Amino acid sequence: MKHKGHFGKFGGRYVPEMLIPALEELEKTYLEAKKDAKFKKEFKHLLTTFCGRPTPLTFAENITKKLGGAKIYLKNEGLNPTGAHKITHCVGQALLARKMGKKRLIAETGAGQHGLATATVAAKFGFSCTVYMGEVDIQRQRPNVFLMEQLGTEVVPVKFGQRTLKDAVNAALKDYIENVKTTHYVLGSVVGPHPFPTINRDFQSVVGREIKKQIKKLEGTLPDYVIACVGGGSNAMGAFTDFIRDSDVHLIGVEAGGKGKKIGEHAVRFPGGSIGVIEGYKSYFLQDSDGQLQKTHSISAGLDYPGIGPQLAQLQNSKRVEFASVTDKETLKAFRLLAKLEGIIPALESAHAAAQAIKLAPKLRKDQIIVVNLSGRGDKDLFIVAKEFKDKNFFQFLKDYLKEENKRKENKH
Amino acid sequence: MNLIDKQLKKIKKEKRLGLMTHVVVGYPSLEVTESLVKVMEAAGVDFIELQIPFSDPLADGPTIMRACEKALENGVRVVDAFELVQKLSKQIKIPLLFMAYYNTVFKYGTEKFCNDARKAGICGLVVPDIPLEEEHQEHFIKYCKKAGLKNIRVVSPISTTNRLKKNAEIASGFVYCTTRQGITGAKDKLNPNISSFLKKMKKVFRVPIAVGFGISKKEHLKQLSSLADIAVIGSAIIDIVNKSAGNTAEKDVKDFLNSLSL
Repeated sequence: MKHKGHFGKFGGRYVPEMLIPALEELEKTYLEAKKDAKFKKEFKHLLTTFCGRPTPLTFAENITKKLGGAKIYLKNEGLNPTGAHKITHCVGQALLARKMGKKRLIAETGAGQHGLATATVAAKFGFSCTVYMGEVDIQRQRPNVFLMEQLGTEVVPVKFGQRTLKDAVNAALKDYIENVKTTHYVLGSVVGPHPFPTINRDFQSVVGREIKKQIKKLEGTLPDYVIACVGGGSNAMGAFTDFIRDSDVHLIGVEAGGKGKKIGEHAVRFPGGSIGVIEGYKSYFLQDSDGQLQKTHSISAGLDYPGIGPQLAQLQNSKRVEFASVTDKETLKAFRLLAKLEGIIPALESAHAAAQAIKLAPKLRKDQIIVVNLSGRGDKDLFIVAKEFKDKNFFQFLKDYLKEENKRKENKH
Repeated sequence: MNLIDKQLKKIKKEKRLGLMTHVVVGYPSLEVTESLVKVMEAAGVDFIELQIPFSDPLADGPTIMRACEKALENGVRVVDAFELVQKLSKQIKIPLLFMAYYNTVFKYGTEKFCNDARKAGICGLVVPDIPLEEEHQEHFIKYCKKAGLKNIRVVSPISTTNRLKKNAEIASGFVYCTTRQGITGAKDKLNPNISSFLKKMKKVFRVPIAVGFGISKKEHLKQLSSLADIAVIGSAIIDIVNKSAGNTAEKDVKDFLNSLSL
């Protein structure tokens, strides 16, 4: 194939010459693995025995009744051991890294879910591991930082740029350039230079295949809608890929509407973004007329990113995937509703997808079906949500916790 | 004739190592960038790379990255780089090159960028993140050529022979080799394997060879003089600018360049 890794005009491999040998090696290794029955068997085995796949597809009966419209199903990816879908492509990439003889894994992380998943596979497969995380994200996602460290990973705060996900990607790419011989970069979404968007989509596509099988068994038909939140787009591509050819199934990507429409208040690429070439791939980015990336905001660190996976850009252009956005407020409402009515605490990223389903369901017939890809669970968002809900008891707990700790220290002296 | 060719001939005639220095446009300010370029020419520099600041400079280490960040904070726009060059090229006799990341070029319009750069007095472009494979879509090399600009390829010690050959086919002006696999930044010692790599480079490339990344002192230049045609000093100069208190940046850079005894 001559024009590798392109999705229409998007994608590609826009990197300095010094990264090309490593990306070529990764591509070659992946193409071999794809044909290798043993590799596939091992990947599948790990997904079953380590990750607990398949994840359940749960009928959200109470929400469905309350809204009085289409049936809502939740694909509960939050039941993955690290709390989100990210572990799937990390297992896949760890196997590839081992095949390439790499000794070290690095990753970027926003919410910490991809970092945590990388740290987990590093521990399991015996790699040393460094995770880059923006200083801002470290502040809002401390629990995941703590867990990564428990797994033996070094978490490096990224102190340049906006100090969020995009800067973590830059920092990881720089590390990759410097240490490419020993290191595999476990890029955590369907973004970046070829072959990452393809590799991660393929590993994640198990989600869509499972949804299809499960909904057929439960309802005897395909869903009318599949909805997923989109930061870079890994969970969305995972859920959508198997349905792309089923033209009757509407696919909706949900972006972070944040707290307003001004620059720096949201992460909505459609509309708002324009085509650019950044971080090794061509796609839509939130950028100014000079091509400088713009500030973004979302209550969920995982959606707080100015770019979007190149295949999603193509699917948007061809109108196969529709995009919508949901505000921070609507997200918190959906979070609450899911918790209270369904007993499921979603990650704030995933709550965006749920919020869109909640908006859509009442407009649909009762025999129609919506599947929401609930990409992660909300444990990691404890501190953010407690703050948003102004939970006095939680603050008191934190105060007491520190008081106790200080007392202990004083007694020691 | 493109000034780059002229300058390359001059270096060859004088049988010496050429020197390319680097500035980030608008760092620490547009005024200082302008005077630094003049200081560099006066000190005997052969080529000057003017880097257009970009928000996400993939191949740059902390020194240049922070300089870009600062320049953007100062409100520097792409148009300022063109205006600066327009002004400078009337006064400067040595070739000026733009270093940019591809998004800057793409967003401006690749063909328009090349044409406007040439019109402003730019002689060559160094764009590290536009590999050959994307030419079918971007036509970057084509538009460079059309505008009369040298398209300076950037290769590294881990580039395979196959890739070096591919780049050699379309290289123009000179080729930029990095001393090591990595990102930009001044280092104390050069890569010990640099000489075997550069020997390999000489076999593959017909164009002269520039070497950059980590070059910061006279000793490095001595080491390279028999191996390459041009040495590139980037981060080391920005480090000096960073260290100069008050308004001494021009003087400090001048002293540094003189200490290399060009």
